[in-house]
Amino acid sequence: MITTLIRRELLDNLMTFRFAAAVFIMLLLVVANSAVLIKDYERRLAAYNTALKTEHQQLRERKTYSAGGLDVARPPNPLSIFNVGLDKRLGNEIWISHGFVPTLWDARMQGTTNPLLNLFSAIDIVFIFEVVLSLMALIFAYDAIAGERERGTLRLVLTHPIRRGHILLAKYISAMTCLLVPLLVSLLLAAILLTTSTAISLSIGDFLRIGGIILSSIVYLSVFYLIGMLISAVTRRTGTALMLAMFVWGFWVLVYPNVILAAIAPPQTSQARMVSTYDQIKQIWDEFDRERKHFLANDAVPGEDPHFGMVGEGSHFGIIGGSGFNYAYFYRNPSRLEYFYLAGSNIGKLTEESKPRVPHAQNYYHFLVPQTINTAERAWLVRKQALETIFVQPAIIDRILLRCSPVGMYDAATQAWAGTDLHGLRDFFQVVRKYRRTLIDYYYDKKAFGSQQWFSADKGAVDWDSLPQFSFQRSDVRINAARALPDLLLLIMINLFLFMIIFLVFQRSEV
Amino acid sequence: MWHIAKREIYDNLNSLRFALATVLLFGLMLTNAVVHLREHPMRMQKYHDAVTESLNRSRSRTHLYDIAQRGPGLLYKKPSSLHFCADGGDIFLPDAVHILIRRITDGLMGFWQLDYRPATHNSKNIRPDTIKVDWGFVIGYVLSLIAILFTFDSISGEREHGTLRLMLANSIPRHTVLIGKFLGALVSISVPFTLAVLMNLLVISTSSDVQLGTEAWNRLGIIFFIAMLYLCLFLALGLLVSSRVQQSAASLVILLLTWVIFVVFMPSTLASIASGFSTPMTYDEFRERRTRLYIQLSDEYVTRLQDAREHPAKRIALGGEYVTKDAAARERLSQEFLDQQHAQIQLGRSVTRISPVAIVQYLLEVFAGTGFERHQQFVENAQRYAREYREFVTDMDRADPESLHIIGIPEGMSKKPINSESIPTFEDTLSLSRDFNTAIIDLLLLALFFVVLLSGAYMVFVRVEI
Repeated sequence: MITTLIRRELLDNLMTFRFAAAVFIMLLLVVANSAVLIKDYERRLAAYNTALKTEHQQLRERKTYSAGGLDVARPPNPLSIFNVGLDKRLGNEIWISHGFVPTLWDARMQGTTNPLLNLFSAIDIVFIFEVVLSLMALIFAYDAIAGERERGTLRLVLTHPIRRGHILLAKYISAMTCLLVPLLVSLLLAAILLTTSTAISLSIGDFLRIGGIILSSIVYLSVFYLIGMLISAVTRRTGTALMLAMFVWGFWVLVYPNVILAAIAPPQTSQARMVSTYDQIKQIWDEFDRERKHFLANDAVPGEDPHFGMVGEGSHFGIIGGSGFNYAYFYRNPSRLEYFYLAGSNIGKLTEESKPRVPHAQNYYHFLVPQTINTAERAWLVRKQALETIFVQPAIIDRILLRCSPVGMYDAATQAWAGTDLHGLRDFFQVVRKYRRTLIDYYYDKKAFGSQQWFSADKGAVDWDSLPQFSFQRSDVRINAARALPDLLLLIMINLFLFMIIFLVFQRSEV
Repeated sequence: MWHIAKREIYDNLNSLRFALATVLLFGLMLTNAVVHLREHPMRMQKYHDAVTESLNRSRSRTHLYDIAQRGPGLLYKKPSSLHFCADGGDIFLPDAVHILIRRITDGLMGFWQLDYRPATHNSKNIRPDTIKVDWGFVIGYVLSLIAILFTFDSISGEREHGTLRLMLANSIPRHTVLIGKFLGALVSISVPFTLAVLMNLLVISTSSDVQLGTEAWNRLGIIFFIAMLYLCLFLALGLLVSSRVQQSAASLVILLLTWVIFVVFMPSTLASIASGFSTPMTYDEFRERRTRLYIQLSDEYVTRLQDAREHPAKRIALGGEYVTKDAAARERLSQEFLDQQHAQIQLGRSVTRISPVAIVQYLLEVFAGTGFERHQQFVENAQRYAREYREFVTDMDRADPESLHIIGIPEGMSKKPINSESIPTFEDTLSLSRDFNTAIIDLLLLALFFVVLLSGAYMVFVRVEI
């Protein structure tokens, strides 16, 4: 009997105008936007490859170890086509130095052709689903029960020995089947477009992640269908059901996510916390500076010049007839809690009168660099906690607030699958920090700090070829799944809960 | 006609949708006002602090060479007091024009130039993306959705109930019915909307931190008029579809899908597609050209310097020439880079004018003094100021008979101390008449959309069978 019901419902739904409209609009939007997104991804990938090349070149230009830090580029995530998350927004190049532990707030944006293009908000595939699928689900659901009640067909159906639960189930299954058609067809088209692009190569893991996104989409769709059905079950007339459904949609999809974040004031305590942490970090470095000055004062070369007045020849970017460069300063940026000491030089050939100073400089750097590394690590411990409370916690609270709407849960789940959420991005910076440790170990192994190559290429430039290479692999699918699971389970639970309520309402309602 | 309108209004006032729409509009407008009151003082404070700091820095210079070489402090964009009307994506737009100084050789310092750095506020932001709840959102998204929900069944619903036949049997002309319906819906939406707007303005103007001048009120009046025109446009669209389609459910489906496409997707998707056709200089290309420029200029300088080794006066003249030439060439290049970027955005924006919501968004931005048009205006202001500043330096130098009149080299310029009060200061201004001129085409376009839709609705309704 239930199969007959499903067949009847399916035919009813498939023949309607709304079904044709749903398929058409989903195809139109997904294809048009996929093309834009794929092009955008290709552009970002090209920028990444250029960045890699420039980094390589710049490294070769440096003749000494201390001539500057290393730049590491962040590859764009191909799944950002589905849900862009933070992938495009956050900085994609990070600078690594022994004197500073980098975080995602220190990354900068590199290689964007026109930064003003951000004015046109990027529409990813998940956003289309968020808006259109939910609307479709409500349009399919609003008259599921109220319509039959109005036309009197519900009474007819119930004269047969059918359980009411079966009617609900039949309606649910058939409508979901119909709604899956535009979802899957449009995704299939998007996948075809993806595979035609030569720049994008997807691994098996990526296909599993896309599978996860599809699963989340289905569950999300089902939530909105059930909301519509609930409205349909409690209202007498289809007109009222439709009106309610539209306002519920407008509220959850359009209004709630935007209003809730605007209305919640950002915590005021963060400013005081910023200042106190900055002072704390500054104190750590002040202590370092005292020891540094103390060391210089005890040195045989009088004065406090950290470069011992060494001069020579060497390239100095963009300056005619450069004599190499020296630098020694405290970098300050209170708004990002950045405070650290940088010192070094890049001198090619030393002048004769500078040569007797070399042992002094060697001695000094031998003392200074390990000290800098230690201080940087100590400052990092303080900074890490502050960043966590000042920047990460409000973002987490925001996400929790957004999760009060199914749209927020769906967004969070798909971001987790795609790896474009905060966790996914932080994975990269975790690897960057690990790489920094590797580099420092490498310097220790090479005894770089005490060597002349640290500041001058007088006895030959640094051989950069044996430097450990940076590589980043996106996290395993299982980790993505584990991150997406809470939101997915929440959505499924809402589904079950809604179905139960509808069942109870429908069971007790008069026909 | 008034009879029909009155009946329609009574019908609407008692309906569920009226109550829900009112609650929604009031809630949104209240949030908007509260957020503005919270954020605007901070924004103004930040601007004033930055301007004072930049002014102090430039005032501390008294030597003409210093003034000429270092240039003014950073030039900041003045935040608009009507920020609550349209946010205009201000987070993606730079709020200042920077000053760049280049060292040419160890002895020769280059002159300042305007440096258009991209905005970076958002690249550190890990909070979720949202649309700003400004008037643009309330009008563009919510008001249009409400307009659709009020009109989708106004004709098809009556046809379904059979009341349309009854009404037309009373020898009422069809156009009267249509206009009556239109007016009824217009009044029943514009009343809660106007009240919500008034409440919003009341909350905002009670605060002492936010002052709205006469010009601001004029701008608000224009914005309200635009909102009304936009509302009429969607009402006409609703009537058109409602009279064409037999069932009100189908009419709603069509209207909603049109709405989703035009309002939610069209502005960004079309703009992204269109801006793909324009390929401005990439940053790498820009950097390469800049390096080539440096090399070319310095090669020229070095060869000419070798000829003039024995003549100190000639060397000074050469140095001065080099510095001025270098500054002018660099500024030209970055200006070209910026212009190409702006042209790309302009292209994207002009294509999206197919969608009325985009037009309204742009109009609101123009009249609220935010967004891209405003940013272009700010950049122009900064450029005009830069010219003024340079002219000031030349004038001061010319006024001193002891000077060698070689701009660019300390030895070649006047050494008289300059009164720092006399240095021109940057004033970022807005003018309503200018804004009006940029907006007039958009306004006409919007009116045209409305006329076409309304006459379309009339034509369809006159010919339709009942």
